[in-house]
Amino acid sequence: MNIEQTKKNDTLTFHLEGRLDLLSAPKLQDILIPTIDGTQSIVLDLKQLTYISSAGLRVILIAQKTASSLNVALNVNNVSDEVMEIFEMTGFSDFLVFGG
Amino acid sequence: MNNTEVILSIRNLNKTFGNEVILENVNLEIKQGEVISIIGPSGTGKSTFLRAINFLSPLTHGEIYFKGAKITNHNVDFIRQKMNMVFQNFGLFSHLTVMQNITSGQIDLLKLPKAEAKEKAMSILKTVGLAERANFYPNQLSGGQKQRVAIARCIAMNPEVILFDEPTSALDPTMVSEVIAVMRSLAKSGITMLVVTHEMEFAKEVSNRVLYMDEKGIYEAGTPEVIFNNPQKSKTKTFIYNIRSYNYETESKNFDYLELLSGVENFCFRNAINKKISNKLHLLIEELITNIISPERAKWHLNLTHSEVLESFEIIIIYAGEKNNLLETSKEELPLMLVNNIAKSINYDYEDGNNILTLKL
Repeated sequence: MNIEQTKKNDTLTFHLEGRLDLLSAPKLQDILIPTIDGTQSIVLDLKQLTYISSAGLRVILIAQKTASSLNVALNVNNVSDEVMEIFEMTGFSDFLVFGG
Repeated sequence: MNNTEVILSIRNLNKTFGNEVILENVNLEIKQGEVISIIGPSGTGKSTFLRAINFLSPLTHGEIYFKGAKITNHNVDFIRQKMNMVFQNFGLFSHLTVMQNITSGQIDLLKLPKAEAKEKAMSILKTVGLAERANFYPNQLSGGQKQRVAIARCIAMNPEVILFDEPTSALDPTMVSEVIAVMRSLAKSGITMLVVTHEMEFAKEVSNRVLYMDEKGIYEAGTPEVIFNNPQKSKTKTFIYNIRSYNYETESKNFDYLELLSGVENFCFRNAINKKISNKLHLLIEELITNIISPERAKWHLNLTHSEVLESFEIIIIYAGEKNNLLETSKEELPLMLVNNIAKSINYDYEDGNNILTLKL
């Protein structure tokens, strides 16, 4: 999986491309989680994300909890139908904030 | 098919080439008027079986009875008139016209007067739609026409049984239907037919009985309804449903996940499985194997199958050890949620010390 970061004002955006699975989830966790503290707003841009498994969902859950405890806004953008289906069947769509 | 007399009885037929066993203890009884299709993968002895029945290839062991009389080297020429064969490559005499090809056997073997043989040949040629080609030579005919002439020549000998050895497999696809049409009409005439064929529609619609050959013999036999719609044995199912499979097994908790992943990827690519389905298969396998099965059991076997005919996908995971449906006892909430939502059906069995999970997509 390819991860790119862009920063605009106080918002740090992570552009995820490819598959977020058992093999790539640790890499995202290592890059994403430490950056939350010290940022006002995080955006996960999933436009190029084609696959997500429970390993990827766990990283997003950790990110969401970490952001929440630090009062950092975490938004998820550009979710494909396939990935949204996974968010819906696991209940992630109930607590993630989309858009913004 | 009203007459139930056994016309052909094959007992303990064995055929070997060198050390290779092709057919082993094949037994079959054929009743008069039966149309039997013989199907199966290449190399399973279908044509060898047919040739052995007609003594074109000597039996290694076994006996064949035609109307109760044992076929031997002494009576085989007479029997071959009663049990004629149509070959894949037609077997016509290229230096003889269509008419001469059909009449020569009648004149030489049946001792029919020439005029009578010609009259009969013309009548048969009309039934196979080739009366206007009577004076043509084989090289002036298309493949489908040649095979119709071969069938006409066969009928002219008044056989009681016709053996067809893949009669359409050497033909251009556009010519298959004209030969099949002749065979259909022949089947209705009440003649006994044994047909080695890859034409499944013919086997399905015209046969009284279908033999699926595999594992050196008749692996499964039944009505077309049973063999094509409800085959009972695994290799028949694989053949009929055109099932492709991918297998992976390990005895280590440190198995090579990348190898498994690339195996599934290749399987999906080779079978032109669309991205959406491919993602679901990957997801099911990732969740099942890495989160539910492998943490609990080191030894497991994965079988992923796809039936083009049924448009279905199946994942079977077998893990040894005490009875434990890990999909019920696992505490992995997210993986369980994904598996339960994505799989259309989940079945658990325990047989001979093996836990068997079957998931359909």
